Amino acid sequence: MNPVVGVAAFAAVSLATAVIGFYGLRISRTTGDFYVASRTVKPWWNASAIGGEYLSAASFLGVAGLILLSGTDALWYPVGYTAGYLMLLLFVAAPLRRSGAYTIPDFTEARLDSRAVRRVTSLVVVLVGWLYIVPQLHGAALAIRITTGLPAWVGPVAVVGVVCITVVAGGMRSITFVQAFQYWLKLTALAVPIVFLLFVLGGGESAVAAPAANPTALAPAGPYQIISLLVALLFGTLGLPHVLVRFYTNPDGQSARRTTLIVLGLLSVFYLFPTAYGILGRMFAPDLAQSGQSDALVLLLPGRMIGGMAGDLLTALVVAGAFAAFLSTTSGLVVSLAGVISQDVFGGSVRGFRLAALVSAIVPLGIASMTESLALAGSVGLVFAFTASTICPVLLLGIWWRGLTDAGAIAGMATGGVLCGSAMVAGSVLGAAQTPSWLAQPAAWTVPAAFAVTILVSRATRGRVPRTLTRLMTRLHTPERPLATER
Amino acid sequence: MTRVRVTAPRTVNAGSVTSGNATPNSATPNSAALTGGRSAAAPHEAAEESDAGQLFVRSLIRSQLRLGLVVGLGFLLILLAFPLMLGLVPGLADSTIAGLPFDWVLLGAGIYPVIGLSAWLYVRTAARNEARYRDLAGDK
Repeated sequence: MNPVVGVAAFAAVSLATAVIGFYGLRISRTTGDFYVASRTVKPWWNASAIGGEYLSAASFLGVAGLILLSGTDALWYPVGYTAGYLMLLLFVAAPLRRSGAYTIPDFTEARLDSRAVRRVTSLVVVLVGWLYIVPQLHGAALAIRITTGLPAWVGPVAVVGVVCITVVAGGMRSITFVQAFQYWLKLTALAVPIVFLLFVLGGGESAVAAPAANPTALAPAGPYQIISLLVALLFGTLGLPHVLVRFYTNPDGQSARRTTLIVLGLLSVFYLFPTAYGILGRMFAPDLAQSGQSDALVLLLPGRMIGGMAGDLLTALVVAGAFAAFLSTTSGLVVSLAGVISQDVFGGSVRGFRLAALVSAIVPLGIASMTESLALAGSVGLVFAFTASTICPVLLLGIWWRGLTDAGAIAGMATGGVLCGSAMVAGSVLGAAQTPSWLAQPAAWTVPAAFAVTILVSRATRGRVPRTLTRLMTRLHTPERPLATER
Repeated sequence: MTRVRVTAPRTVNAGSVTSGNATPNSATPNSAALTGGRSAAAPHEAAEESDAGQLFVRSLIRSQLRLGLVVGLGFLLILLAFPLMLGLVPGLADSTIAGLPFDWVLLGAGIYPVIGLSAWLYVRTAARNEARYRDLAGDK
């Protein structure tokens, strides 16, 4: 492949990101601007931005790669990623917006009236964010290595560099525009090559492998693995820090719901395309699965099937989309982590926010450079399991159950974090081949365990239910207008 | 706590009920609050009224939670029905749509409209629940 193509595509995306980021700079002046774009972002913008932020390396590269490897079993990933947003809509979107908090730790502190809960939640949020950035950087390393032939470390370093510049310069306001732009870029980058590929295929029906044919000797997933994966994806989405912070940019609870509805539409349309790449990959490029390069399928397929200039241009488009995915998810995570870190450590000033942004981007860069890339969709799936076992119980019970106490919340987060964290460590020590499925997909037992501990400890400490509860529950669940006249 | 469903919007003097300014000690609602007008002239009316207000709030929370659970469980049942259908209906797993195996089309594309429909139903009904709450609580 022509190495200039990859470099040019990355440079163009970075430049566009920076330009839109600086354009946003002119309108972000106050601390409120920096954190949540002053809550005045329109639903369509906001929905595109949420889509842009959510569709990470795992969605752009990982899903197609996993479909190539394991067929229909992998189709549950995009279904779970999308249905996770349905759960978010049903149980979290409007109440969380109405809570008026900036970050998840803000929410748990307000709900449980406890500094200790805030500190534990902050710790978990930062951990989740770092764990989630690492696969993005692995994806960047893969993309740079495959498309330009440069050393792999160039990719992560470039991504972190661009993210730091944009976030430090513009905060959340410009991030919203950048993310919205990147959703449409990602969609175009997958859709245009597919149209060309189908056009080329329409010409001659040659004898090819059926999509159902398995290119590797992988055993199909059992019902336990699928159920556990769905638990992780359905309940993990509603605890992701970069997803939650987006809801604060809606003006009120109803528009938070409308935004989520649009997001669901955007995600549904998007995921048709990685699925199509996976199917085409099974038919025309099964050798990528055998050589362990399945995550590069989306990047390589257009160049393989359409040669020459047209192939190069389509490849450039796909590479641009891939970098948009790494950049948008990473910057979204960095913004939300910086919000948490700066409020807890640096006192919530704009300068503290910038400092915190640097910290939250550079630590995962270190982790990524020391670790190996697993299958991208799989490693992101584990982060979802971790989130579902830690943040999800506190969030769901905090919104819907009056009996939650600070002791219960801390005990639940600790239980889920330790159980799921140990399973992840054990899995990486044993290696993919030796890990039993209950350790490889831990969510089916760690999530119920975390819920059970949270509820039991809350019951045992029911005297600790905060005095502010009634007022807060009212605020979470009632429409905004009555409240405007209340205080 | 006894479970009370508020159904008739006119039982409480609409304009006088304000939601949510309850003091922590007056949090427990009781059905006596529904007798409404009794306390209208009393000096402690704020507490009485917030009891009624809290009753509406609890009723709203319950109906939103019930709605979320119904839509969520309904969606999960449909999701569960997909693999069951493939396993139980003979020949379905081997049939193709536009050259693609049926299960690929079902999982790869067919589920998304179900998700969208569930979400749309939820958003509509949740907004309706809130409108009813506004009527009850007298906030326009």
